[in-house]
Amino acid sequence: MNFNIILEFSINTLALGSLYALISLGLVFVFGIMQLVNFAYGEYIMFSGYLLYFLGVFTNLPWFLVFAISILGGAIIGFLSELVAFRPFRGRSLEALFVSSFAVSLILQNTAVLSVSPRSKAVDLPAIFNEAVQFGEITIPIRNLLTIAVTIILLVGLLVLMKKTPLGIAMRAASENFPAARLMGVPANLVISIAFIISGFLAGVVAIFWSARSGAVEPMMGQGPLLVGFIAVVIGGMYSLTGSVLGGFAYAVLANLLSMFLPNELLSFRDAFMFVIVITFLVIRPQGLIKGTYTEERVG
Amino acid sequence: MNEVLSVSDLIVKYGNVEAIHGISLTIDQSELITICGANGAGKSTLLKTIAGLIRPAAGTIQFLDQDIAGKKPEDVHKLGVALVPEAREIFPSLTVAENLRVGVFGQYHAKQYAEDLEDMFTLFPILKTRYQQAGGLLSGGEQQMLAIARGLVSRPQLLMLDEPTLGLSPTYVDQIFDLITHLKQRKITILLVEQNANRAIEISDRAYLIKNGSVEFNGNADEMQSKIDLESIYLGG
Amino acid sequence: MVKLWKNNAVLWLFCAGIILFGIFTNFFLSPLMNDIFTNGCITLVMVLGLQLFMGNSGILNWSYMGFVAIGAFISGICSMPVNLKEQALPAMYPFLQQINLPFPVAVLVGIAVAVLFAGIISWPLMRLSDSAGVITQFALLIVMNVILLQWEQVTNGPRTFTMGAMKTTNLWIAMFAGIAVLIFVYFFRETTLGLKLRASREDRYATLACGINIVAVRYQSFLISAGLGALSGSLWSHYILSFTAKTFYMTEFFMILAMIIIGGSKTVTGVVSGCIIVTIVRKSLQQVEIGLQMTGMTEITLAIVMIVFLIWRPNGIFGVKEPQIFNNPSDFKIKEQYEKTN
Repeated sequence: MNFNIILEFSINTLALGSLYALISLGLVFVFGIMQLVNFAYGEYIMFSGYLLYFLGVFTNLPWFLVFAISILGGAIIGFLSELVAFRPFRGRSLEALFVSSFAVSLILQNTAVLSVSPRSKAVDLPAIFNEAVQFGEITIPIRNLLTIAVTIILLVGLLVLMKKTPLGIAMRAASENFPAARLMGVPANLVISIAFIISGFLAGVVAIFWSARSGAVEPMMGQGPLLVGFIAVVIGGMYSLTGSVLGGFAYAVLANLLSMFLPNELLSFRDAFMFVIVITFLVIRPQGLIKGTYTEERVG
Repeated sequence: MNEVLSVSDLIVKYGNVEAIHGISLTIDQSELITICGANGAGKSTLLKTIAGLIRPAAGTIQFLDQDIAGKKPEDVHKLGVALVPEAREIFPSLTVAENLRVGVFGQYHAKQYAEDLEDMFTLFPILKTRYQQAGGLLSGGEQQMLAIARGLVSRPQLLMLDEPTLGLSPTYVDQIFDLITHLKQRKITILLVEQNANRAIEISDRAYLIKNGSVEFNGNADEMQSKIDLESIYLGG
Repeated sequence: MVKLWKNNAVLWLFCAGIILFGIFTNFFLSPLMNDIFTNGCITLVMVLGLQLFMGNSGILNWSYMGFVAIGAFISGICSMPVNLKEQALPAMYPFLQQINLPFPVAVLVGIAVAVLFAGIISWPLMRLSDSAGVITQFALLIVMNVILLQWEQVTNGPRTFTMGAMKTTNLWIAMFAGIAVLIFVYFFRETTLGLKLRASREDRYATLACGINIVAVRYQSFLISAGLGALSGSLWSHYILSFTAKTFYMTEFFMILAMIIIGGSKTVTGVVSGCIIVTIVRKSLQQVEIGLQMTGMTEITLAIVMIVFLIWRPNGIFGVKEPQIFNNPSDFKIKEQYEKTN
């Protein structure tokens, strides 16, 4: 095979994997702390996307401000949703939390439908997002390079936060053993709120690159990334941050390979294949590729 | 003597089942109090309620000059109560260093922490050796040391130990009792729950015998000694 | 025999109420009300199927809608006339186009296929609880949805599946099905299987300690639930007559979930009440939506109500036990005995 094609494929898959890694990180932060699969996460992404749309199309703010505000918006909506819809259920059954996150997701989706439009809106992004660079014989879209760069920066930042700062250590302790951490003086509210803020922050970043790919925002846009997140988190490991990152990359590689090698008739079933893999993992190896702090029990 | 902790008529329920039916006890400054009793008597529940993990249905828990009943565990810890939980509950994926650091999350002072760390290394040399190792790699006895150090490092006014010798080899059991005696000499106020009733009472000032969620008997070491012997004669152990 | 009537008085009251209202609606009320009533009965069957598994096991089975969809499509394929299929659904496999069965048989085939599919794939899933269980069920739903949405030769792909113009499901069929399923699900709670399932929800470890094979219990209940879902799907497809795989997806699932949460997941009475309440609210709000041009308001309102209920009345309106009108005499006997010995 042509070396150039492989290189192009690799870089583009790397970019896709970076995006997927960010998505799954956002999900895992909340899951690690409270075992909550946050269905509303997709809507954090959507919310940031719509902020991006409004600020980009209707204001003349410089781009870095537009990005900053929409990412901040994601963080805020994450924080608020926890305060209103998840905190009251703390210490109660997991089902109540799941259903609540589903309800929040629907509320946000329909608020977008109600207040803006059920239809998609074209999003305005800096020109650089649509340009490409030439390296010899291969062409790489600049936004792919940006995705990779931003992901690396964020991953390093989060790594430093979790490993080197007292807050990060406290969060890791809390996700391993929440009651014991509280006994040591780690405030439950703080840790959970920070987890949601980080989750929303990551959602904001994802929104930028996701809408760059599709060129538009629409009320259901959170569903795609959410499903990606589910798959990546399950494959890579629900209980470890590194695992979820790995899962994101693994998913991107798998998805692209399937796209290339699946016979044409089965291509539209690609997503079904991915989810069958998810189910297989959950049944055979629920802890994913990276075990992390897995302690879940099985019944049979 | 100053009273550090005073529990009055504490009632604790799990759902509709009453686990503690009105326990009262007091601890004075620098005392070592042992709570003993059979499995399921309510000893752990008592400690967890004092620490804030469980909210009591009724009663008061007076710590220094505040009623801490129903307060959140992180707030109770900040006030100066440190619980070393049953089964240690250290954080396996965190290093020894990080485990200890979590112990002072709410009240960190760099200089004080550095001093306290040195102190811990003297008391528990194994922690210095294994400082950067993951907590999960330590043996049971070492984990217990880590758990106690984690409690001590926050300079608590009241240290509560829930079954510290549970599941440990005889060597470690001896070490733990030596440690507790040493801590008593340092005048730290300690509330100890122990299965090893006789040994624990030997080193304690006073003790409480809990049965089915109530205080069956309490007194000083000698009184407890004869009471427990009597119980074993009549009940066979 | 009298006990059967007295102890389950509320159930019989509901059944009588439904029958009476159905007769009244059919002869005296507008076509719109007829539509709402028929819809309500079909939805009742759907909700009851979900409650049978979810309410008694405590496991949120997102995949339920997938089985409703299977029932809908398969029964539709079986009952449609051959030439209608050849015209409206040209992409379909010829052998499927040639099938033509009477409506009741078609429904049974739909149920059979759904139960078969559930039987093959759900056993390993029954071992998972909590978050792994939820994600797996969700993933299963996606798989079913994608397959149904893409398998052109069976479901006409993302395009509308049309079944002609004659509604086979009418008010009487829907009502009869609703009552039959209501009685079935109500008494299921007290069967051996039902009791074992409820026990596994209350306390997994205690149930295991009693020697009960939780996986087997869940599996059987899951199959029954899938069958009921397929039944409701069959009724529905023969009522709305044109749909896609997307019709049986998140939004509809959310609606029946809201019924269960608001009414109460642990009792059948709760589910019926939830169904009535949500249907009324939904239909009224939909009128308002159209009038005020505010799409999406129904979902937002119901979602907020759902969260509010989850916070303040997590067991729904009716709580944990089926409400009694006549006090169950055996309850008194047990109470007397207990008081004598304590």
